[in-house]
Formats: sequence, C-alpha cells, structure tokens
Amino acid sequence: MAASTLRARWGNGPWAGTLRSAAIGCVLMAILMVLPSFLSLYWLRLLTSVLMLAVIAQGMNAMAGFVGYPAFGNVVFFGIGAYGTALAIAAGFAMGPALLFGAIPAGGLALAVGPLLLRLRGHYFAIATLGLNEVVSALAANLSGLTGGAAGLSLPLGAGTAGDAAQRAYVGFAALFAASLLLGIFLRDSRFGYGCRAIRSNEEAAEATGVPTLRVKSIAWMLSALLTAVAGGLYARWVGFIEPSLVFDMAISVKAFVMFLLGGAGTVFGPLIGALLIESATTLAWSHLLKLHLLVLGVTIMLVVLLLPDGAQGFVARHWPAVRARLRRRS
Amino acid sequence: MQLVAQIVLNGVLLGGFYACMALGFSIVWGVMNVVNLAYGSMIMIGAYVTQLAVLQLGLPLAAALPLAALATFMMGYVLQRALLNRLAERSVFMTLIFTFGLNMALINLNLILFSADVRSLPDVFGRASFTIAGLSVPYSRATIFAVAMAMTLGLHALLNWTPLGNAIKATSFDPDAARLSGIDVPHVYALTFAIGGAIAGVTGALVATSYSFSPIAGESYTMKAFVVVVLGGLGSIPGAIIGGMLLGIVENLASLFLDSGYRDAVGFALLLLVLVLRPRGLMGRRFFAEVKG
Repeated sequence: MAASTLRARWGNGPWAGTLRSAAIGCVLMAILMVLPSFLSLYWLRLLTSVLMLAVIAQGMNAMAGFVGYPAFGNVVFFGIGAYGTALAIAAGFAMGPALLFGAIPAGGLALAVGPLLLRLRGHYFAIATLGLNEVVSALAANLSGLTGGAAGLSLPLGAGTAGDAAQRAYVGFAALFAASLLLGIFLRDSRFGYGCRAIRSNEEAAEATGVPTLRVKSIAWMLSALLTAVAGGLYARWVGFIEPSLVFDMAISVKAFVMFLLGGAGTVFGPLIGALLIESATTLAWSHLLKLHLLVLGVTIMLVVLLLPDGAQGFVARHWPAVRARLRRRS
Repeated sequence: MQLVAQIVLNGVLLGGFYACMALGFSIVWGVMNVVNLAYGSMIMIGAYVTQLAVLQLGLPLAAALPLAALATFMMGYVLQRALLNRLAERSVFMTLIFTFGLNMALINLNLILFSADVRSLPDVFGRASFTIAGLSVPYSRATIFAVAMAMTLGLHALLNWTPLGNAIKATSFDPDAARLSGIDVPHVYALTFAIGGAIAGVTGALVATSYSFSPIAGESYTMKAFVVVVLGGLGSIPGAIIGGMLLGIVENLASLFLDSGYRDAVGFALLLLVLVLRPRGLMGRRFFAEVKG
C-alpha cells in the first residue's frame, strides 16, 4: 500500500502531515494539468468556476476556519481585485501587473482596517465586514467617472478565440488554486499558523503566552484578501464585464463560507471538496430546476449546517471507524 | 432651515418605523444569539399576507394587520422549534449561514407563490397630510409611526410586566439556570422567535400600506435592522428607538446633500463608525450583547 509505505518512510514526524499534503497537492495539480485535453468547453468552464470558488473559499477559510473570525464580507476584496485589475487592463497594462493593481489595494485595505475591525468578535466582526463591503460597493456604483458606475465596466477582448480565453482563465485559476493550497498548508503547519489556531481556541490565552494577536490576525486577513483579490482580477479578465452588483455580491461570500464548512473548516483541502460538491449541486439545479435553484441551494445550505456541522471530512472521520468495524466483523 | 427641519421630522417618522422593525430582529439576536438573515423575507411575507387579505378577502387594513402578524408568528414558532433549536449550541456563524440559506429558500418560495412583480396596495391614505408648526406630516407616515410606536411600547410592556417577559429575560441571561427553575427553554426560545416574527409581520403590513415590495426587497430591510440594532445596542428598546431615528435622519439628510445612490451606504458608514468607536452600540447592555465564540 502506498499510504503505509509513506508512513513507514516518513514516520509520524513533525513534517509528516506537511509532506502528505504536499504530495496530495502535487497529484491534484498533475491531474488538473492533464484534464483540459479531455474536457469540452462546457466542462472546462465548470471546472474553472469550481477552482475559482475553491480559491475564494480558501480565502474565507484562512480567516474564519484558521483564525476563527467570520469575515463574512470578504467578497469586498473580490470586488476590489476585479475593479483594480479591470481598470488597469483598460489603461493598457498587461495581465500580470494588472493583477497587482487589484491585489495591492485589497491587501492594503485589509491591513489598514484590520487593526480597527479585528478588535470586534463574532457577529460584530461579521457585520463590520459586511458594512465594509456595502460601503465600498456603493463607492464603486457611484463614482461613475472612475468605475463606470452601476452600468458596469467592459474589458477589451483578449487575443484569440473564445476557447483560447477559456484556456487562459483555466490556467490562471489553476495556478492560483495551487497558491491557495500552499496558503492552507502554511496556515496549518507553520509557526504563524500555530499562532492563528491559538487565537481561534482562546484569544486571551494566546495573548498571554506571547502571540501578538492583533498583528497575526491582520496579516492573516491580508493574506486572505490578496488571494481573494487575485481571484477577482482573474474573474474580471475571464468574463470581460463587471458591475458592482456582480462582484460585490454577498452570495459569493456566503457560498464560499458554506463550501469551506462543508469541506471541513481549518483544513487544507476542505475548500476544494466543498466547492466541488456545492458547485455541482448548483449547476444541476440551474440546468434541471431553473425556477427552484435558489430553493435547492438554500435547502442544501440548511442541511449542511444541520447534518454536517464538522464538514464532509469530519463526517467521514466520525463514521469511518464504525463502518470499518462492521466490515471486519462481516469478513 | 425650514427644509432641514422638515427633513429631520421625516427622519424621525421613518425612524419610528425602523425602530419597530429592528426590535423583532433585536429580540431574537439578544435572546438566542441568532442573527436572522431571513428577517427581511419574513417582513415580505407579512406584506403579501396583508395584500391578500385586503384584495382577496376584502378585509379592512386593521383586520389584515393582525392576520399578517399571526402568520409570521406561527412561522417563527415552527422555525425555531423544529430547526433553529438544534443549532443552539453551535458557533455563531453556523446560525448565520443557516438563516442565509433559509432566506434563499423563502425568496424562492415567494417568487413561486407571488411572482417577481413589484407590488403595492392601492394608496390607502391618499396623499393627504396635516401641518404642525409649518411642517407637513402625511397621514400615511403618521399612522405608520403611531402603529410602530404602539408595537414598541407593547413589546416593552410584554418584556417587563408579564411572566412570559420574565421567562424570556431569564432564559436570555442564563439558559441553564432558567431550565433549573422550571422554564421550558425550547418553548421560550420558540415563543421569542415567534414574537420577533409577529413584529416582522406587522412591519410587513406597514410596508404594504405605503411602499412597494417584491420577493427580493426584503434584504434591504434586514440590512437596516442590522444597522439600527448595532447603532442602538443589542437588546435595548430605547436604543432601538434612538438608533432607528438616527438612521432615519441620516438617510434623509444624505439624500439631500449627497447623491441618492449613497443613501444605504451612509447607514453602513455610520455602522462602521459606531462599531469602531463604541462596539456595544449607543445604549447596549453587556448582558444581552455577550458574544459567544
């Protein structure tokens, strides 16, 4: 068995988990590299949006899962990333630098308001981030001279066919997804990540044992913001048209939240699992039950919260021993 | 000067309505630590029930209003008893997400039952108004203000002068101690959510009398309830009145001095400011606002 060989070679040393996650990540990336040659344009698009949502969910996971701060309004960084990148592209910048125009303001905003808002907890922090999103979204909708206002912003078409553009978007999001896995591993296994988890389980105790809590929280939020903003920038390039109600949509945040909860909060691969499950369910609902798709999604969310509070991974972990025991008894 | 005074008066009248609306949201949050994101959809259900009662059954508005309240009261009881009570021990964002999902489901149900059309009742009060000290007060606004204030006082009386009010407050302070002294905690939770629902129903009836509404219009009411509760402080009735009026006045002033597109954003900017400077709100009490991880 591959798993047992791995365990024999690496033992259960301090880096065993890191290595295992890195190995799984490499396998995943290899699969993602090969997949496009077997997929039609439709499935490629679906896979691209799964990757995008997995990235946004990882951004949410970074704050809500690892640090325990429900950054409900994190979609604000998606919107800022989308607008920053779109405006830079319109001004003639290439894609790479254009992404920085989205990411830097988003990370800067998180660092600037983090020390103020991260003193709030629970619902209050969640609402504050929501308020932040509403304010920035209103600015985007009303500063028509800069952003095109509520009418939105169209981007010039990229080179090549629609298929080329879809390929480029896929590659972009796959690379960003790899970065999001690295962030997850970093937050789980690094010294910084231990600080985050200490804050999650007991902030006063963390502070007392010397974790600079406000700094750690602010930096974690900045990392989350950077990831989310780059996703926003790639999204803007991908769809070619953005408007405030599209990229500052709270539903994106909530979807991301449900995804990482479903996959398993505070885990490296949870966001991907959640994104795969939820996005497939949504796509099915869209194509077969168009009139009921909100109902289906809403009920799915309620069921996830009621039945799988510790996520799919937790559910498996909870029930696997009993199943295994039964299988053994039978054989 | 006259203009500013008129705007402040409009703000106060609107603020009374906001205060009443926010109380249904506040009591659920304060007692059960549930932020009910489906609150706006419950208001919309109240509005639809009112409209059906008036247009289909031919009832007078005064009879339609209790009917709307009853509908959302029962809905609230069942929701808390059957579903939300199961989440009582979970972390705050579980319930947040749960009610978001509930909101989506309710919006979809409203869309199926009532279509996406924007509706309103035929103007009940007309455009008539009376004047006080040179300022004009439309009858419709004055009626809404009066009903909202009556609801607010009624809730105050219920919480402070009845055994049920004592049970609710006791459960809010310490559910375990309440259980030990013989209070049926799940029932009290369900009743509290039902009372919040009834207030949403009344708010919906008031919305139906003078505003247009649609399945997706509920969200802006949820947001406003949020802002008012945070401004005034969780679990405080005077706080809700102050927060509601503050929001009403600021919104009206903002539409005078700024582009009307900023109307909602100004409320949120105010919210951020209060959260940063005074996290428990202007009148919040520590008791109610205790935030569980």
